Amino acid sequence: MTAIRQVNVKENLLKSNDFLAARLREQWAAQKTFVVNLLSSPGSGKTTWLERTLPALGEKYRVLVLEGDIETAHDAERLHAVGVEAFQITTGGACHLEAHMIEQAWQLVDATEPYDFVFIENVGNLVCPASFDLGEHLRVVMLSVTEGEDKPTKYPKAFHTADALMLTKCDIVEHFDFRPEEAERLARDLRPDIVSIRSSARTGEGEDAWVELLESRRAAMLATPSESEEAGRA
Amino acid sequence: MHEMSIAMGLCRQLDELAAEHRARSIGRVVLEVGALSNVVPDLLREALEALRQEMPLVAECVFEIRDVPLVVHCHDCEKEHRLREFRFWCPQCESPRVQVVSGEELLLRDVELEVPDTKPDETQKESAR
Repeated sequence: MTAIRQVNVKENLLKSNDFLAARLREQWAAQKTFVVNLLSSPGSGKTTWLERTLPALGEKYRVLVLEGDIETAHDAERLHAVGVEAFQITTGGACHLEAHMIEQAWQLVDATEPYDFVFIENVGNLVCPASFDLGEHLRVVMLSVTEGEDKPTKYPKAFHTADALMLTKCDIVEHFDFRPEEAERLARDLRPDIVSIRSSARTGEGEDAWVELLESRRAAMLATPSESEEAGRA
Repeated sequence: MHEMSIAMGLCRQLDELAAEHRARSIGRVVLEVGALSNVVPDLLREALEALRQEMPLVAECVFEIRDVPLVVHCHDCEKEHRLREFRFWCPQCESPRVQVVSGEELLLRDVELEVPDTKPDETQKESAR
């Protein structure tokens, strides 16, 4: 004889990713490592921006980049060439990074001396990466002026989940029908408190604002007690 | 997005649940797909249909997939509002201080299992583990 049993499960199907991500986030915070996840379409200028800004940042802080790509170690090699420590994650086919990939990669990283900043350069894709928390403390979505000002509306999840927007290649904006203020307005529809930085890796526009954002957000993270610390006090 | 891998993950979870309850089969599964989850219900349905062939446990299972709308709570007018478009400002008072209450999730809500009967002619109900 059999019976019917109703089980009210109420479980998030992405929970395994989110659980790992939360664990990573706390681990990193405990080491005072501030982690940034960079999302964008292919070719928006993620690697170029890191090439431009991380050498100087690396003089004040200990910096590491986790590079995500489907194939090749080109991006990690580009960063090595300018003296930036980078670890390449090649997915071999996955179009986005997930927390378990970051966790696996992190086990191969020597963090005996903790890093101050870790930048995760996600696979170039404005769709899937948006759904996967990697344990980051700051999520940045990059959008180049060559891509169309309405992209925020077309990729709602990427822009809604981002804490900051970086408009890139601003030095050539006059060649395109791209209104930065319109792209920013549409991004704010999705994320009212999104911080926007207009940048150019060529001219260096936006570099100061970028560093200021990183430093202030890291300081805020260091000033916030962790969940386990709070639980300990309770 | 990645509905096949989500369907496979779901089937793994159902397998674990069935083992826990010593269930012989699963009669019904209720899923909730949020408007901002990036999951397409029809594609998920197709992926589950494909997996049905591989997994005797769900051979006769009815998969009910419910759409969950995007609902936000406004911290200024203190009310909940359903969003008709992807614009995260309060539709009533235009405040940017809104928090998503539902619509981002991909949830396994309920599962109906066929279990060995210890008490004849009785339907049991269990709350969340």
